[in-house]
Amino acid sequence: METHVLLVEDSALVVGALRILLEETGHRVSAAATVSDAVAAARREHPDVILLDITLNREDGLSVLTELARTGDFPRVVVAVTGHDDHALKERCLAAGCREVMLKPISAMELPARIRQWLAE
Amino acid sequence: MPGTYLDALPLEQRLAFLEEQTAEFARTIAELRNQDALKTQFLANISHDLRTPLSAIVTHAEVLREGILGPLDDRQRDSITGIINGGRQLLAMVDEILTYARGAANRLALQTSAFAVDALVRDVCAMSAPLIAKRRHALDLDITENLPPVQADREKVAHVLGNLLGNAIDFTPPGGRVWVAARHGAPSPAGPTVEIEVGDTGIGIAPEHHDLVFREFAQVDASASRRHHGTGLGLAIARKFVELHGGRVWLKSRLGEGSRFYFTIPVRPKS
Repeated sequence: METHVLLVEDSALVVGALRILLEETGHRVSAAATVSDAVAAARREHPDVILLDITLNREDGLSVLTELARTGDFPRVVVAVTGHDDHALKERCLAAGCREVMLKPISAMELPARIRQWLAE
Repeated sequence: MPGTYLDALPLEQRLAFLEEQTAEFARTIAELRNQDALKTQFLANISHDLRTPLSAIVTHAEVLREGILGPLDDRQRDSITGIINGGRQLLAMVDEILTYARGAANRLALQTSAFAVDALVRDVCAMSAPLIAKRRHALDLDITENLPPVQADREKVAHVLGNLLGNAIDFTPPGGRVWVAARHGAPSPAGPTVEIEVGDTGIGIAPEHHDLVFREFAQVDASASRRHHGTGLGLAIARKFVELHGGRVWLKSRLGEGSRFYFTIPVRPKS
């Protein structure tokens, strides 16, 4: 069964690039641009992986995780995606339950292999 | 003469005049500080916003280069590699501006841990190895044995060393010599320090420009800066990072005689 990835990302440009990459490498992709849409999508679709941009337009991306944890809908793998390398931010993501923190731009060479790796762990 | 008019007035009026002037200056200074803070904030916001479309461009180009959308011939792959390299270079510059803006707004905090200077120097040199090889430089390391571990922000110290080493590599004509040395430094108010030196046999810097190179937006030689595609912020950021630790950074250099940059990091953070 193909792996389902939910992209939580407020830039349509970034979603466009990642959608091509992931769909062409055999994944099912859905996307959400706000915290409430992301929570609804995760509850409805039960994705295997969430790639979570933590700086959504004026919203804290991590609040998606607080909300999902509250109702027991936490997905198998959540990976935080951020624009800048900040130690405190990284700690906050890991504490919120993220498997790891990836820096934008996500490497097209790496992402499909990493997804396989996360799901195999 | 400016004094003449004031001198002719009675003392009380002179005082009132001076007080009014002082208040006016204070207002101007506050206004300028406010403007400066706004511009710094703008710089931080715009760099953050520039990153997003740039990331998308790089990812799209990588998808093409990996052949995910179909096979490419060599010329097509070279061209796409050019897009990726250009995009990554732009991202590095945007990151530098973002780091500078956060530093200027005093939003940089140190994340300290204890680490060995020896390993740090070797890690940074290993990262620069491809560039050193490309420019056919020789790299020498001279690390004093049994240096104490330092309690500092490893990422920031690595950033400073990486920046100095990058400059040494860039500003030395191909086939030159570049070296990194680490030794006990002169004690600072915070106690003992470790001193790191980065030297090269490159083009050098005239003594009258030594202060200038650490200043933000400064370009000693605009054409050199363009050739070396910097933002002009690298050394200003390096100085900021070193001073955050309570260390200092300086250089010895003359035109045509290479450069030696030095910085110290206190073994324990200033309290």
